[in-house]
Amino acid sequence: MALLEIKNLKKVYTARFSNQQTEALSTVNFSVEKGEFVSIMGESGSGKTTLLNIISTLDEATGGEVYLDGKPLSNIKDKEISAFRRNTLGFVFQDFNLLDNFTIKDNILLPLVLSKTPVAEMEERLIPIVRKLGIEAHINKYPYEVSGGQKQRVAVARALITQPKIILADEPTGALDSKASQNLMEILKGINETGQTILMVTHSTRAASFSSRVLFIRDGSVYHEIYRGEQTSDEFMERISQSLTVLSSRGGKDE
Amino acid sequence: MNNRFFTSLAVRNIKSNQQLYVPYLLSSTAIITMFYLMSSLLTNKFVQERSSVLPTLFAMGTIVIGIFSFIFILYINSFLIKRRKKEIGLYGILGLEKKHVAKILFFETLITTFVSIAGALIVGQVFGRLFFMLLNYLLRLPTDINYSTSPMTALITAGLFAGVFAITYLYNVSQFTFANPIKLLKGKKEGEKEPKGSILLFILSLVLLGWGYGISLTIADPLSAISKFFLAVLLVIMGTYLLFITGSIYILKALKKNKRIYYRPGPFISISGMLYRMKQNAVGLANICILASMVIIAVSTTVTIFVGTEETLENRFPKENNMTLNGTDLSQEELNTQFVGLQGKFHEEAQKIELKVTDMESYRYLTVFGNLEGNRLVFEEGFPAANVPLYIQVLLLEDFNEMAGKQIELSNGEALYYHSKGALNQQNIVIGDQEFKLKEADYDFGGEAAIVTTMVLIVPELSQIEMISEIYQQELPQANPASIDAFIGWNTDGTNAQKKALGKQMKQLSSASESLSFESREAFREEWYSMNGGFLFLGIFLGLLFTIGTVLITYFKQVSEGFDDREKFQIMQKVGLDKDMIHESTRSQIVWMFLLPIVTATIHVIFAYPIVRKMLTVFGVTSEITWLLSFTGVVIAFGAIYWMIYRITSRVYYSIVK
Repeated sequence: MALLEIKNLKKVYTARFSNQQTEALSTVNFSVEKGEFVSIMGESGSGKTTLLNIISTLDEATGGEVYLDGKPLSNIKDKEISAFRRNTLGFVFQDFNLLDNFTIKDNILLPLVLSKTPVAEMEERLIPIVRKLGIEAHINKYPYEVSGGQKQRVAVARALITQPKIILADEPTGALDSKASQNLMEILKGINETGQTILMVTHSTRAASFSSRVLFIRDGSVYHEIYRGEQTSDEFMERISQSLTVLSSRGGKDE
Repeated sequence: MNNRFFTSLAVRNIKSNQQLYVPYLLSSTAIITMFYLMSSLLTNKFVQERSSVLPTLFAMGTIVIGIFSFIFILYINSFLIKRRKKEIGLYGILGLEKKHVAKILFFETLITTFVSIAGALIVGQVFGRLFFMLLNYLLRLPTDINYSTSPMTALITAGLFAGVFAITYLYNVSQFTFANPIKLLKGKKEGEKEPKGSILLFILSLVLLGWGYGISLTIADPLSAISKFFLAVLLVIMGTYLLFITGSIYILKALKKNKRIYYRPGPFISISGMLYRMKQNAVGLANICILASMVIIAVSTTVTIFVGTEETLENRFPKENNMTLNGTDLSQEELNTQFVGLQGKFHEEAQKIELKVTDMESYRYLTVFGNLEGNRLVFEEGFPAANVPLYIQVLLLEDFNEMAGKQIELSNGEALYYHSKGALNQQNIVIGDQEFKLKEADYDFGGEAAIVTTMVLIVPELSQIEMISEIYQQELPQANPASIDAFIGWNTDGTNAQKKALGKQMKQLSSASESLSFESREAFREEWYSMNGGFLFLGIFLGLLFTIGTVLITYFKQVSEGFDDREKFQIMQKVGLDKDMIHESTRSQIVWMFLLPIVTATIHVIFAYPIVRKMLTVFGVTSEITWLLSFTGVVIAFGAIYWMIYRITSRVYYSIVK
C-alpha cells in the first residue's frame, strides 16, 4: 500500500468580501510509495504550494482526501494535529524558518522538546544527524552566524530528528546559490537512499533531477509524470527539461 | 528635497508603523503625565503648607520620577528602533544619504515629542482635576484638597522631555551612522550581546543595594533620615537596574545550562526568548519593580499616618487636657503655689459642668540640651544645631513617684535617670560642680517615640533643679534662660461634646494668664484627621499614578514582545507547536514577569522599613503594628492588582502571537 495517497483533492479559495472563487486545485490524484523521492514541478501559480500545504495539514482541502499510511488526514482531531505534524511529518522550507533566539542545536531539537522527549534521547539522536549533515562544528552558534547553505542543512536536521514518515520540502534550494543547492540535494538524495520518503516541491530542474520521480502539475491537476529508472542525474535532468518544454508549448496551444 | 517632503515621509512612517507607535506614544505620554502630575503636586497648597518636610520629599520624588522616566523612554525607544532597523536600512539601499535618514528621523522625533508632551499636559490637567475630585468625593475629608498647577511646571516638564527625546534622537542617529545598510537589514535578527564585565557589574549592583540598605538600617535619628532617604532611594534604584540586568542574565544562563529544566516546552521557549533580548527584558522588569516599590511605600506610609492619627494624638497630647505652666517669670515659690493650686482648680472646673477628673498627671520639669562627654554633661543650645544634641528633662522625685506610682527615695547626691537608647555605662554624672550617682529609673518615658535622643534625670530636691538651671545659664550665657516649668494633664469622663466644652473653658482660663498655655486633644482631633487625611489623599494619588505606570509598562512590554515573538511562534506552529503549549510558555513567564518584581519590591520595602519608620516619627507615628498591618495589606492588594494586570496583558500577548 502506498505511504501517501491523494485522491480527488480539490481546493477552492473564496475571496473574503465577494463570491469570486479561485480554483487552486481541481482534481489531484497521485500516490507516493514508501522510500520514494518525489518531486512536484510546475510554474508559479500552478497549485504546488497549495498542495503541499494541504498535505502538511497547514491548510484544509475543499474536497477529496489525503491518506497517510491508509488513514485520512481529515480525521485527525484539532488537538492532535500539532502532535501529528511534529511526529509524522518533517518540514524543510524555502526561507529556512529557523529561530534566531535558539542555537543551531536547539533549533534542531525544537520538535523533540515540544514532544517532551527525554534529554538523553534527544542528544543521542542529535549527534549522528549533525555529523551526517556536516554541521557538527556549528551546533552552538546562532542561525544568523552561519551561511544560507548551513541554515538549510540545519532545517533538514530539524526535519529528520523526529524520524518522520515523510519529509515535505517546499523549494528547499530556492534561497541558495548553485553550489549550496548541489550540496543540499546530494544530502537529500543520501537521506532518501537510507529509506526516507521525501516529497519536494520545486522550480528547479537541477533539484528535481535528484529525485526518483517527477510529477508535473498545471492549472490545479497533475498531468504528467516521469520516472528516473536507471538514468543518471544529468540524463534525467535533460528529460525533465524536455518534458517542461513540451508541456509549456502544449499548454500554449491549448489556450 | 525640502522639509515638507521629509515631514510627510515622517508622518507616513509613523502611520505605517502604527503597531509600534501606538504603544510607544501611549507609554511616553503616560510617563510624562506622571512626571507632570508629580511636579504639579509641588505647587499644591497642602504640600506647601502642611509640613516643611513635604516639599522636600516631593521634590525628591519628582527627581526620582524624572530619572525613572528618562530610563523608561530610552527603554521603549530602543524597542522601537530595533524593530525599525530593517526599514531604515532599506532607505540606505534605496539611495538616501545618512543625512537624509537623519532628517526623516528628526521629523519623526519632532512629531512624537510634540504629540506626547502636548498629550501629557492635557491629560495631566484633566486627569489631575478629575482625580482630585473623585478622591475628595470618596474620602470626604473635612476640607477638600484642590488640584493646582502652574505654567512653570508645564514649561519645565516640556523642556525636560524635549531634552530626553533629543537624546533618543541622537542615540538613534548614532545607531545608523555607524552601521552599513546590510547590517541594518539584518539588525532585527541578531540577539543582544551579553554585557561585558557582567560579574563586576553584578558585584557593583550588590554594593549599591547594600549601601542603600545600609543607610536605612543604620539611620540614627529622624531628622537625618529625610536627607539620607533620597540618597538611599537613588542607590537602590541604580542597584536594582544593575542587579536585574546582570543577575537575570546569570540566572537565565544557569537555567539554560540545566538541561532538565531547559528542555521542556514552556521554559524552552520562554528562557530562550528572554535571553534573546536580555537587557530589554531586565530593564522592563526593573522598571516594574521600582514602580511597585514606590506604590507600596507611598500607600502604606500614608495609610499608616492616617490610621495612626489617634495614636499620634495620644503621643502629642498625653492627656485629653494639657496645661503647661511656664516658669520663666515665676519664682520658685510662685511656681509651687500655682502648681498645687491649679490642680485643685481643674477639678473644680470639671465639676462645674458635671464632669469628673478620672486621671491626672502633673510634674515640674526643666528642659535643657547637651551632650554626654564621659560622665560630664556639656550643655549646648537646642535647635537649630548641626548635630542635634541630647534632649534632657530634669524632674522632681516627688512628682516622678506620683506619676509612676512608686515610692523611691534618693539621698542627696543621687539621681534616677532614663535614656531613650537604654542603660548608660556611666556610674555617675557631673553637671557643673554637682555630681550625682546614677540609678536607672525603671519607667518607660516613651523616648523611642521622640524625634531626638532623650534623657530624663530625676533629682530629689527642687533646689537641685534650680541649680542645674543656673549652671546651664552660666555655661551658655547667650542662650535663652532655661526655666522650670510645670505640666498638668488630666482626663475626664463624659461625652465628646462635654469634653470639648471643657476644653473651651480651659482655653479661656489659660488665656487669662501669660504663664499658662492649654491644649485640648479633642480640639486638635478634627484638625489632625483632616491633615492626615491629606496625606492619605496624596498617598492614594501617587499609588494610583504609579499603578497606572505599572499597567502601561507591563502592557508595553507584552505588546512589543508579542510583535517580536509573533514570527517565532508562527514558525514553531509550522513545526508542530500547539496552542496549549503557547499557553504553557506564557505561563512559565509568570515566575519572571509576576513574582520577581513583586518579591524584589517587597524586599526593598522591608529594608526601607527602618528609615521610613524614623521618618514617620516626624509625623508622630510610632506603632509598628499599624505600619506592619498596612504594609502587608498594601503588598497583598498591589500583588492582586498586578496579578490582574499581568493576566490581562498576557492575554493581549497571547492573542498577538497566536
